[in-house]
Amino acid sequence: MRRHTIAPRKHWQATVARTGLTCHTLDDGTPYWDESAYWEFSAAEVDRLEAATAQIQEMALAAGDHILDHNRLEEMKIPSAAAARIRETWNSEPPALYGRLDLAYDGRQIKLLEYNADTPTALVEAAVTQWYWLEDCFPKADQFNSLHEKLVAKWQDLLPYLQQPVYFGHDGSEEDFLTVSYLRDTAQQAGHKTVPIAMHDLGWETAGARFVDLDCKPIQSLFKLYPWEWLLGEEFGPHALESIGAVNWMEPIWKMMWSNKALLAILWELYPNHELLLPAYLDGSRNLQDYVKKPLYGREGEGVTVFRNWVAEEGDTEEGVACVYQKLASLAVEEGNTAVIGSWLVDGEPAGMGIRESSGTISNNTSRFVPHLFR
Amino acid sequence: MRKSKEVPLTVLAALALFVTGCHETPESRNCVDEQGRIVPDTNCQAYSSTGAHYHYLYGGASGGHVGDAVVGGSATPSSSSGVSRGGFGGGSGGEGGGE
Repeated sequence: MRRHTIAPRKHWQATVARTGLTCHTLDDGTPYWDESAYWEFSAAEVDRLEAATAQIQEMALAAGDHILDHNRLEEMKIPSAAAARIRETWNSEPPALYGRLDLAYDGRQIKLLEYNADTPTALVEAAVTQWYWLEDCFPKADQFNSLHEKLVAKWQDLLPYLQQPVYFGHDGSEEDFLTVSYLRDTAQQAGHKTVPIAMHDLGWETAGARFVDLDCKPIQSLFKLYPWEWLLGEEFGPHALESIGAVNWMEPIWKMMWSNKALLAILWELYPNHELLLPAYLDGSRNLQDYVKKPLYGREGEGVTVFRNWVAEEGDTEEGVACVYQKLASLAVEEGNTAVIGSWLVDGEPAGMGIRESSGTISNNTSRFVPHLFR
Repeated sequence: MRKSKEVPLTVLAALALFVTGCHETPESRNCVDEQGRIVPDTNCQAYSSTGAHYHYLYGGASGGHVGDAVVGGSATPSSSSGVSRGGFGGGSGGEGGGE
């Protein structure tokens, strides 16, 4: 893998906005979508990343069985009220759409950093914006990116299983709004009727004991870009649990097992010294000298601390929250840019990748998205 | 070849669909700006990229036209129809739930 610098397209802001990426620039005026560089991979490297993604998915499936067979939800700080529903949906397999593995790859070793299984974003950039960038700039090159096709195909598979319309719940940021809009788009292309709804507009009808939209129509299919740990912690949390079955929630509640960073320690326990995993522990840093401390429910780099030689060097420690301690990975660094690979899965299958760059070691919501190609 | 064969350019079309929304709601509501003046509903249904903040006011009194001020009203719908709202959406502090 190699990083190239390149002149951005003229009027790139308008170009990427036309294909849907309106949040292309950060608040400080620097690009979020950064096409002043791209990463080039060989076909063999992409083969390795694809195979690693599929293999980690297999291990995550085994970890899900293990967590439930050995009653480890409490240790993962997953609310006990959710346990029965997690178990039930793990077995009944209601619709689940997508996820993103964050991988460290330095051209030699591939290591799992975490699994964003419940509410992954940076999807428009990966599926659409970099696809059009490639068409414009390197039409003869290839890209590890069949996200759009696979999303539409998955929605087609779900047509018999989902009551119409499918509601798409969003909350807060422009990035989330774009992600939800794009997913609506893929669902519509597959033949679903879709309706957007803000999370705070979801209604609970006491008489019918059901969720309703703003017209008081019952909601039976709901994609929500809103993590389960938030849903459960809010006023309607008990209703969400009660409604499972009557409502197809996507992603399903069992995804709490994978989006929780305790998964990393459980995987290491199940597959010690596996080449795709980093040592990770729930009870402290043990013998690790250079490591990262991550809250089990941390989001977008929040609360993550990097320790080198046992000394905290980067990040903010959140006191009093359960954490996982994971060995510091070797990341690709070029010209001061640290790259993390977001490897996408649709319907459990590898579907493409996006690369985020940071100036430091910790990726967060301002990490730049840099396109890629392979030859 | 691992890339999608085509990515139809309908994202913006999908975004545009956000403005269609629903027009009949169980309770009257108006999309208002920070000063409480009525603005088109599209402002509340799509994310504002200009940094301006718009929200719905449920109930209240106004002339009902864009630019009119709404007197009274509540940021959360009442539960008079047996439907309560606002039970989700408090988690993000505006940052959104994606990662």
